[in-house]
Amino acid sequence: MNNKFKLRKTNQFLWRNIAIVAGTFSFIICMLVLVNYIQINRIDPVNTELINSLVQRLEENPNDNQLREQIREMDLLVRKAYFTNQWQVKAGGYLLLLGVIVTAIALQMFYAGKQKLPEVTESEQENIVLFKEKAREWIGLGGFGLVAITLLVAFLTHKELGNQFTQAALVAQSTPEEKSDVEVVEPIKEEVKEEVKVEKAAEEVKKENEKPAEPVVEDKKEEAVEKKEPEIKKETPAPKVTGGVSYPTKEMMANFPAFRGAAGQGVSYQKNIPTDWDGASGKNVLWKVQVPIHAYNSPVIWGDKLFLSGANATQREVYCYDRNNGKLLWTAKVEGIAGSPAKSPEVTPDTGHAASTLTTDGKSVFAIFANGDITALDFNGKQKWAKNLGVPHNHYGHSSSLLVYQDKLIVQYDHKKSASLMALSTANGDELWSTKRKVRVSWASPVIAEIGGNTEVILAADPCVASYDVNTGKELWKLDCITGEVGPSVAVGDGIVFALNEYASLVAIKPGANPEILWEAYDYLSDVPSPVISGDNLIIVTSYGAVVCYDAKSGEIRWEQEFGSGFYASPILANGDVYLLDREGVMHIFKADKEYQEIAAPALGEKSDMTPAFADGRVYIRGEKHLYCIGK
Amino acid sequence: MKKIFSIFSLFVLLIIDFAAFAQTQRFPRPEFESGYTQPVASMPEPRAGIFALVDVLLLIAALSLITWFIHRKRSRTGVVITSLFSIVYFGFLREGCVCSVGSVQNVVLALFNPGYHIPLSALAFFVIPLVYTLFFGRTFCAGVCPLGAVQDVFLLRPVNLKKWLQKVLGLIPWIYLGLAILYAATGTDFIICRYDPFVGIFRFNATFFMFAIGAAFLLISVFIARPYCRFLCPYGVILNLVSRVSKNHLSITPASCIQCKLCENSCPLDAINKPVEVKQMEGKRSATRRFILLGMIIPALMIIGGWVVSNFHENLAMVNSKVRLANELLHFDSNTMKESLEIEGFRTSGKTKEELYLESAAILKQFYYGSWMLGAFIGLVFGLSLAGLTRYKYREDYEPDKGECVSCARCLKYCPVESN
Repeated sequence: MNNKFKLRKTNQFLWRNIAIVAGTFSFIICMLVLVNYIQINRIDPVNTELINSLVQRLEENPNDNQLREQIREMDLLVRKAYFTNQWQVKAGGYLLLLGVIVTAIALQMFYAGKQKLPEVTESEQENIVLFKEKAREWIGLGGFGLVAITLLVAFLTHKELGNQFTQAALVAQSTPEEKSDVEVVEPIKEEVKEEVKVEKAAEEVKKENEKPAEPVVEDKKEEAVEKKEPEIKKETPAPKVTGGVSYPTKEMMANFPAFRGAAGQGVSYQKNIPTDWDGASGKNVLWKVQVPIHAYNSPVIWGDKLFLSGANATQREVYCYDRNNGKLLWTAKVEGIAGSPAKSPEVTPDTGHAASTLTTDGKSVFAIFANGDITALDFNGKQKWAKNLGVPHNHYGHSSSLLVYQDKLIVQYDHKKSASLMALSTANGDELWSTKRKVRVSWASPVIAEIGGNTEVILAADPCVASYDVNTGKELWKLDCITGEVGPSVAVGDGIVFALNEYASLVAIKPGANPEILWEAYDYLSDVPSPVISGDNLIIVTSYGAVVCYDAKSGEIRWEQEFGSGFYASPILANGDVYLLDREGVMHIFKADKEYQEIAAPALGEKSDMTPAFADGRVYIRGEKHLYCIGK
Repeated sequence: MKKIFSIFSLFVLLIIDFAAFAQTQRFPRPEFESGYTQPVASMPEPRAGIFALVDVLLLIAALSLITWFIHRKRSRTGVVITSLFSIVYFGFLREGCVCSVGSVQNVVLALFNPGYHIPLSALAFFVIPLVYTLFFGRTFCAGVCPLGAVQDVFLLRPVNLKKWLQKVLGLIPWIYLGLAILYAATGTDFIICRYDPFVGIFRFNATFFMFAIGAAFLLISVFIARPYCRFLCPYGVILNLVSRVSKNHLSITPASCIQCKLCENSCPLDAINKPVEVKQMEGKRSATRRFILLGMIIPALMIIGGWVVSNFHENLAMVNSKVRLANELLHFDSNTMKESLEIEGFRTSGKTKEELYLESAAILKQFYYGSWMLGAFIGLVFGLSLAGLTRYKYREDYEPDKGECVSCARCLKYCPVESN
């Protein structure tokens, strides 16, 4: 016989030793990778106990820069360790693969060398009859076992799920909120246990991480307003009058009652706004005071009074200043509210515990905080009512600002567990209506505008821009067109709603029962500042420093301007000019026109992320630490 | 031989270079000044049309080559070389996707869901190995399938399992295939891909659990040849059926068997059928009676199987994400329980509970009928297996079991007979 079976000669000693070395190496690497893998799974680099405790200490002492730096360094170390571990696991994986390959080759070679010529043994033949009999037995046994186990589990876990689902669907069908997103809830009264203490204090700063609303710019109907409000400028758009009620009211326009002005539209109706100042030298700075507790909310003004709030993890305060001389008239501590959580929710440092700007109706001032506390104070700082809306589950911190419409305080409360828009009675805080919203958490503020005979509250949040009847909360229209963590509020002009968000798009929406997108652009998007519109010039501001003017009708870019510093503050239209404060505190004043034309760029000398407030001949800016009054 | 090896090495190098070139994206990835590096995607990126075509062409080339090695050259070395190429290209470079094993699910989904358009490459990966198997036996399993090849590399000390145990364990792939079809047909999941023990290793991103399963399979492969192929692979059972009727299956001897018995223990998969002597066979009458009896009870087994599994359909349906969410929502109490991410996602999706419950009820109904079919299928498999174990076939020569043999060509060198 010519047997083709060939024995291969291999150096068995060599291959055995290679196999041992490579196998040991692979085993060690495997263990190391496992240990690293376990470490990675155990450590959450953004949530370590030590750093959390340091952050808590920092919240109590926000001015401790050394501690702040220490936290940053530790955070960097933890993150580096995390990514190093990840790298090690990956590199270990490659080394392990290499080790296993070498081991496998060495073992194959080793065993190849050990091969023997095939032998023919006269061993007893396997009895095919017995083998088949045994196989039949075991298959039968296995089948019975499988049936028994399946039936046992089936009967133990049987739930008539199909029927349960069908019944649940019927129940859901008969439940009103299942049919519609809109739910009008009966007001629930809540007791307010403690009063607000009125004290003296110092000063503070604010910010607007929130993204509020846009101005309604309609040049047509200024006449009636101008008669009684001579201070309103020609360039300033006047509100529409619907059903005998105009919004914002003349009183509101004469003041600066909310974030981005009356109705949150980004328009100041004041005149003689200064354009020249210098914070460093004090030129045209009428007064400057330190704000007691830092926060990112912006100032609001009614008459001679200017309101701000400040908060940290343990304290929440509302401040009232005499806007003529900077005197702190009173400080109202907001505490002891029924339902208020013992511990404030975690917020990020760039949002803080009081990012929401206050609002006022001329009789009361309303404030909301990151822990869900909301309060109404009279103009002497005495608490009229207070309640807790439930701790908002918001990973940065609640930042949507408040608005007042007649006797209603409008609150956007989109957080992770539930999203809603509600109207509380300005008189007693009772819930007048509440509408559930199917959106993700958002930071944008409401805007109120007159559109097509309706007074609408317009909100932007992933996944839609939606409008609600301000009197009933009924959803008027909704358009899925926005995604992500929505910060900027909408702008409204000439019956068109403009919404945008970073990593999404800028959309111009024609509102109505069947809203439609008129145009869409992707070039310049914002994640914090809101847009503003003047005539058909739509001004978009980005947090990285680009400012762009679009043709509001066609979506074409009219001009683009790059600034050295980015923007968190929203632009305000005043005197037909745009006032835009950059993060370094430089106010860029330029024409809201088809061509870019700079008017001035006065510097505050202090960083600021807050939107300024305006009064006749005055600009009020909350800097990082101080509140400034600019005037001539 | 050296010449062939050189040409093949060059071919492999060219393929690797081409694959690296193919990684170039249509749009370059952005670079970050901060030093941030792009993470590797956990799922393989979709293949552009041309590269999908390259994959299919390479599959055909590899199949043709290995078939040539097995049938013409009768070369185990050729099979090993092709196996290594498959591990590198279809395994590590292509990250195990598309693979023929998983393509079963694409085909099923396309059949049951008219809205799903099966990628042509997936269809090709399903059909082409079947065609080759129909003509040449399971040459795909021999060394083109990266899952089989990687197990083969680790086989060092083969141990033969008891025949009866192999028969019992051999039923598992049928059950797995039935489950995979049920889940694919209902659009629930591609369980073959999700629980593929080797794909995570090929991609370097296995979860700890799947890595442990993959490592366990490889360790078992050291002693038991191809445990995944024989006792789990759902595509393997389809190839097994097709291979039984293959036209030109590998034969151990190139001419006539001389009954030398040298090859008797050469197959690590125990896929060589030995001669059956008449004296070993059971009495014809009792065997025939049992065969008829078992044949008659197959319908009963199918009904029992259908009834049993239909009772289990709720548990099977729980794999479906919509059913799971509806069930969670049904028992969710916002006052005492923390909302899960799934419920939060549903709440903000704009969908009503009513829609979800109705959809879930419809899916449950699909599972109910699907479970009847699955149970009946399992009953049929058990019945046919039992009946098959009653059948005796007289055999004189040593022959590969055409269904079980994966054409690995190990046995060929044991045969001393020269071809004519």
